[in-house]
Amino acid sequence: MKMPKALPPIIRIAKYTLTDEVWQKSFVVMFVICAIFIFLIRGCYQGNYMVNGQVLDAGTIIRAVSKVTFHVIAAGVMLVTALLSMRVFRRDRDDGMQSCILSKPIARWQYVAGKILGLWALSIIFMFILHSIVFITTSINLKVIMPEYLIASLLCSFNLLFVVVAVLLLSLLMPDIVAFLCVIGIGIIGFVADGIFAISHSQMAQTMIQQPGSLPDLTGWNIVYYLWPKLSGTQQFASSLIGSEGFQGFVSIYPLINVLIYVLILGALLFWRFRNEDII
Amino acid sequence: MIELNAATKRYGSLTAVDNVSFSIKTGEYFALLGPNGAGKTTIVKMLLDFTQPTSGSLSIKGLPSTNAASRTSIGYLAENNHIPPYLSGWQYLQRCAELLDISRSDAMDQCRRIVEQIGMQGREDTKVNTYSKGMIQRFGLGAALIGNPKLLILDEPTAGLDPIGIREIRQLLESLKHQGMTIFLNSHLLSEVEKICDNAAIINRGKLLVKDTISALVKDGDTLEDVFVRFVKG
Repeated sequence: MKMPKALPPIIRIAKYTLTDEVWQKSFVVMFVICAIFIFLIRGCYQGNYMVNGQVLDAGTIIRAVSKVTFHVIAAGVMLVTALLSMRVFRRDRDDGMQSCILSKPIARWQYVAGKILGLWALSIIFMFILHSIVFITTSINLKVIMPEYLIASLLCSFNLLFVVVAVLLLSLLMPDIVAFLCVIGIGIIGFVADGIFAISHSQMAQTMIQQPGSLPDLTGWNIVYYLWPKLSGTQQFASSLIGSEGFQGFVSIYPLINVLIYVLILGALLFWRFRNEDII
Repeated sequence: MIELNAATKRYGSLTAVDNVSFSIKTGEYFALLGPNGAGKTTIVKMLLDFTQPTSGSLSIKGLPSTNAASRTSIGYLAENNHIPPYLSGWQYLQRCAELLDISRSDAMDQCRRIVEQIGMQGREDTKVNTYSKGMIQRFGLGAALIGNPKLLILDEPTAGLDPIGIREIRQLLESLKHQGMTIFLNSHLLSEVEKICDNAAIINRGKLLVKDTISALVKDGDTLEDVFVRFVKG
């Protein structure tokens, strides 16, 4: 099968993006620190945990700890991805690679697509390796095999795509560090909105709602909950596979659809913005 | 080969290039001369679609410069060329060849020949962060030569080179003349331009002052430098 003509340059640019990042000392340091941290978490699996006076069985402990680790890794890699993405355009400009690539018969959209693909692939590999360490630990040491753990890891990769596209777009409009902070801010607000939504729908909150004036008006947070990029929701959806929680139809996959819609909108803006960018 | 039609570029209230029109024929060795800030690099950037003209149009081989296909068979060397410091000169050349979709074996042959042409044998495998500015410039020129381009756009190719390096680059450019290559050269080194170019244009403050053959511009007893100063100072 013949590859479309536009693809080879995109794949090459993606390859250079990936290898250029891996050659950076800061990347290696970040990766080693993350891997050591995940290895250290192994100890949590072997403790004795009691809930309501009852000792939990090993399987429950492993699933619960693995789920917590899953969320920590997914959120941590989003942070790392934002850090990696924020300086990509600047480094390419400073190293002369941007003008080198764009002086060849390569369109700007191909360059941007290559950058997105390279960063996304790198972040997926980064997260998948960390999740795989947990998977291997539970499979070999604790004899609990959770293939759904790795599927959940791949589902979370859409969050990473959102982070890559958002940081790249914002880094064209503002200083790199501000772009990084903005995207982290978007993530934090999303997590807070999800938390408030969960609390407001808890039994205790429902009881409080019966008594007028006891609960503040949460309409604003509810709007944020539905319309804000649902990074934590996607993570929650992915982790629901690990716990074999019930599938609730559209409500379950809405966060994923929400993130994908944001990726499409921000991606279109990124391509449009870069088209008008002056190459130095 | 190259056509500029009333090309204008404004940055806010500053007009960097003002209604410039000229054309360059295939096989021509053309020099664009002008003092610092005259608009030479802006013209190059518009040709490569690095920046869009405010008005007017530019084309290469009949294709508008906004079309990526117009950059097929073009070699470009930027002013103050940079190369990623973690690559070696050889890796950089290989990367440029890969971007042009040149097969691995062809790329190896071409890179070997180019390393020889730019006089960097024995240094191609060391990291770029150990290179001097002149060596980076040579590898930049080498990268521009990959894929046997029909058009070379060189923005201050001799910047940072010592007199021997300048002479070697000049000899290299002269040798390319016999291969039917078209060259668009931005340079301050008027003596070098006079030796290798057929035609030249002088611009100042974004306006094209003159475009003619070197022999028509430089009359008996004059040098290109005299002509340049006369035009620029009015």
